[in-house]
Amino acid sequence: MSETNRNRLMLVIAILMAAIYLFPLYWMYITALKSGSEMFATPPSFWPSEPQWATYGFVWESRNMARYLWNSLIIASGAVVLITVLGVGCAYVLARYRNVWVDIGLFLILMLQVLPASLMITPIFVGFSQLGMLNYPRLAVIIAIAAKSMPFFVVLVRATFMAVPQELEEAALVDGNSRVGAFFNIVLPLARNGILVSAILIFMQAFGEFVYSKSIIQAIELQPASVGLNSFMGPNTNEWNNIMAYATIYVTPILAIFVLLQRRIVSGLTSGAIK
Amino acid sequence: MTKQIELSGVNKYYGAFHALKNIELSIEKGTFVALVGPSGCGKSTLLRSLAGLETISSGDLKIAGELMNNVPPRKRDIAMVFQSYALYPHMTVEQNLTYSLRIRGVPKAEAKKAAEEVAATTGLSQLLGRYPRELSGGQRQRVAMSRAIIRHPKAFLFDEPLSNLDAALRVHMRKEIRALHDRLGATSVYVTHDQIEAMTMADHVVVMKDGVIEQQGAPLELYDRPANKFVAGFIGSPAMNFVPATVGEDGRSLAVDVGEKQTILLDRQLEPGRAVIAGLRPEHLHFVEPGQGVFRLPVGIVETTGSATYITTSTAAEVTIVETSRRAVKTGDIIDVSVRPADVHIFDEKTGLRV
Repeated sequence: MSETNRNRLMLVIAILMAAIYLFPLYWMYITALKSGSEMFATPPSFWPSEPQWATYGFVWESRNMARYLWNSLIIASGAVVLITVLGVGCAYVLARYRNVWVDIGLFLILMLQVLPASLMITPIFVGFSQLGMLNYPRLAVIIAIAAKSMPFFVVLVRATFMAVPQELEEAALVDGNSRVGAFFNIVLPLARNGILVSAILIFMQAFGEFVYSKSIIQAIELQPASVGLNSFMGPNTNEWNNIMAYATIYVTPILAIFVLLQRRIVSGLTSGAIK
Repeated sequence: MTKQIELSGVNKYYGAFHALKNIELSIEKGTFVALVGPSGCGKSTLLRSLAGLETISSGDLKIAGELMNNVPPRKRDIAMVFQSYALYPHMTVEQNLTYSLRIRGVPKAEAKKAAEEVAATTGLSQLLGRYPRELSGGQRQRVAMSRAIIRHPKAFLFDEPLSNLDAALRVHMRKEIRALHDRLGATSVYVTHDQIEAMTMADHVVVMKDGVIEQQGAPLELYDRPANKFVAGFIGSPAMNFVPATVGEDGRSLAVDVGEKQTILLDRQLEPGRAVIAGLRPEHLHFVEPGQGVFRLPVGIVETTGSATYITTSTAAEVTIVETSRRAVKTGDIIDVSVRPADVHIFDEKTGLRV
């Protein structure tokens, strides 16, 4: 097989895989636009015959989505701020010092990453309950998410810091800056891209977080959109078009951010973004 | 002359590793000092200790008469040029140059003027608005130098600044750095592993090995009277020949073990029968008419550079000869070679120290 033919075959396979992977997303978008009878038609239609745009407005109003999305935004932003402030310092130290204790710290951090949220929630719930944190449920969720996602952030940002040559810091020290000044003046601007990308990834994770929010937040008016979506579905649900419309409103902004920043995210993850 | 840098009894440990051993070094104001030695000899550690990037474990380190042992780098008033140049990638050339001034709170206009002045002397005027990634290797090197000279520090520290340049540019920059040093009347400490760089640029050469200063002095002093076998082999290119030898019964001749035993006369009296190492510089061995030389040697390899011919003999202890007379020699020839008694270096067989 010639080189071009092989490349073509690879491309076809790649497109096929992408199609399979993205099919649920496609299905979500078209189902949201279908009418009640079209949804249950056999064979199913792959394109809505009469797009029902009104569904969006109806769902937005009836489910009070503005409130849910606002809660999601608060929780996600809070978690990102907390993680960024705490995680950047942690990642810097882990990037610059190399000894047994740092290795142990890294190991523990990676281990935290392995534990699933559904396992962690019981001890977290009990602990928060003892501390009275459940009276501030959104703050409690922010802290829980921060604890959960911190390792991921630290590992990513540590790699970014390691790509900043130590000689640059030393040059800044000799040039007359203090250790702290060199960090803020030289290292941080150079690591900005990597930190930004990691923060966006964390934001997207936190925006869709479900387990902690569902368990900790009882009051409906404080619940985020993920929990709202869940409460939409019950054993006898048949309003799939409404649920899909809800999901569409929920994920489209995140998808848009990702598509817009896609190139930056990929380059920020693969290289230190410093030449 | 005032002492600009003084080190006495300086030691540096990394855990159990003894990186600097009892360093004694004093540098007068306005001198150009080269620290030279093989990799891992401690020369970079010594330089970084001067900069304050490493803290010394014991001893005294003074800059301009002030004790600097625990003073952070920013308060030492020294400038450093790094091997990788360490230019700040997110700043333009001008911002790179003025960074140290801006930290010290120099007004913007004044800093800009200083940058323009320095750039004019180093040929960077056209490049002030560029970022380091848009510059060639040589230009980056100039920026690194300019960044050091802009604030008139007490001393310049160079950490192998030319090793990333190609050979031609390196030779050129060698002269430029030295000229700059003279013009500024600066005190410079220059680390290199290249003995030619050290010899050509420095007033005072410090040869180091395994954390110890093996010898220090003027370049020609090191070349003419190396204190031990290591310095003798390190300074000079091609490297000095070392051949085992025994002092003759009269104490004024040397039986040299190269090819057949051969005898050379000495200009000094030594203990008869003593086993020594004779050091002969390739450029001090000369062709003579057959029968008149002290050595008769079979030719092994002939390398021609144009200005000189390097001849390596096929004897057990190889001897290299540098010959500039363009006499035709080829592999397998037997040549007659002579050496002046004054050009024979003798080292103790065991300690390697000069006899």
